Amino acid sequence: MIDLDRVSKSYEKGQPAVDEISLHVDKGEFVFVVGESGSGKSTLIRLLLKELEPTKGIITVNGHVLNTMKHKAVSKYRREVGVVFQDFRLLNDRNVYENVAFAQHVIEEPGRIVKRRVPEVLRMVGLAEKYKSKPMQLSGGEQQRVAVARAIVNRPKILLADEPTGNLDPRNSYDIMKLLDEINQQGTTVLVVTHNKDLVDQFHKRVITMRRGIISRDVEEGFYHED
Amino acid sequence: MKIRSLGYCVRQGFKNIWRNRMFSVASITTMTACILLFGMFFSVLMNVNFMIRTLEEEVGVTVLFDEGLEQEKIDEIGEKIRAMEHVTDVTYTSAEEAWENFQQEYFEGNEEYAKSFSENGENPLANSASYTVRVDEIENQNSIVTRIKRLEGVRQVNQSAGATKTLISFNSLFTYVAVAIIALLLVVSIFLIANTVNVGISVRRHEIAIMKLIGATDSFVRAPFIVEGLLLGLIGSLIPLGILFVAYDRILGWLLNRFGVLNTISGSLPSVLEVFHVLAPVGVALGLGIGLIGSIITVRRHLRV
Repeated sequence: MIDLDRVSKSYEKGQPAVDEISLHVDKGEFVFVVGESGSGKSTLIRLLLKELEPTKGIITVNGHVLNTMKHKAVSKYRREVGVVFQDFRLLNDRNVYENVAFAQHVIEEPGRIVKRRVPEVLRMVGLAEKYKSKPMQLSGGEQQRVAVARAIVNRPKILLADEPTGNLDPRNSYDIMKLLDEINQQGTTVLVVTHNKDLVDQFHKRVITMRRGIISRDVEEGFYHED
Repeated sequence: MKIRSLGYCVRQGFKNIWRNRMFSVASITTMTACILLFGMFFSVLMNVNFMIRTLEEEVGVTVLFDEGLEQEKIDEIGEKIRAMEHVTDVTYTSAEEAWENFQQEYFEGNEEYAKSFSENGENPLANSASYTVRVDEIENQNSIVTRIKRLEGVRQVNQSAGATKTLISFNSLFTYVAVAIIALLLVVSIFLIANTVNVGISVRRHEIAIMKLIGATDSFVRAPFIVEGLLLGLIGSLIPLGILFVAYDRILGWLLNRFGVLNTISGSLPSVLEVFHVLAPVGVALGLGIGLIGSIITVRRHLRV
């Protein structure tokens, strides 16, 4: 599903943010990527979203070689990849329903599909009753649920989460991770970048540890470990 | 982009205008001024052109012949003139007809005065048989006159197109000034629309970033801003067209008076509907064009998706 072959990414001079990493993630896997700040985790996510171009190496996601992908094909590719951020990135002038429906409008889904699919996803993330609320009227945990709903409403094959619990309390963090786990159970490949040691240890998933741009550990059913 | 997204893009376009209403108002105002001026100049030009056309139809060239020229020769000259390019009409007036016309024009009601001119019943205008020659466009008149003067048996060629010439020179001066002012305003309008659309893009940077991450196509991201530019252009052309439609007579009267053209008007001028038949589509196209160019410039420069 995700293949990185000796991928490097350098920003101007100095140590590369990602340094010749090779990585393989299977379809349907759940992977934590951990490591201290500046270890290259976020760069990895941005490379996978094709927001950044690798300086070296080949990235293949879901059969697409990102290096050679034409600009026009990027939008289609991104529809296969859902993404969740630490700061939620919701549209504060629109309510919960509109935020999720926005993702469907953007990929030009017909209205009848939007009307069916959005309530379905909102039920799944437990926000069916709050569909009329504006993001600012919701708790951090609820806002992140909206963001997750938006990320999965277009049924992506892969879900990327960049510090999804970074702004949440332990209780909400656990709930969000549980939600991501459920999404994974339904077949979506999930890759979560996180700092949250407790969560990583609770979920017993594959844990990839990054340090100064390289993968220092890669353990099935592992624990949080900073070298 | 799909057809079904059109409604969405149009709604977003309206929202953009409303969100940056200050800038929208500024660009619509400039555009209104631009198209209003354009419309005014256009109306005046159309009226002046109309006058020129009327004068062209009325004013001809008069061709007089050498004294005692035989009728046969006169007919020959007529044939030659008729064969010339740009000549639309040649009418013969005999000396008798000329004298009758003269009497009618100057001595109507006082026929006895005419007699004092005509001793022994002789025609005082005996050598006034003439051709009145009309040309298709006034610009061709000079060359025709030169050619007629070269014909054998032609004594004199009279051109009485003073008023027409004045109108033509007024028309070209007016056109130059109008084109210069309109061009300047066009540039300002395009700049202001580009600026307004740019503000819209800045305000929605966050939203655009999300759209791109979710997988919006370039055209889908760009379309609302193009729609915004087009809408600004449309509104900015409908307002001045509306103003012109209502105030056409007053504006035109004032302008023509100001340039001292009003006194040369003969016959009825084109009505507001006749002018709008051309002006309305041109004005709207101009507005849409300005809006389109303004928004495309900005979207290209500031919306690299």
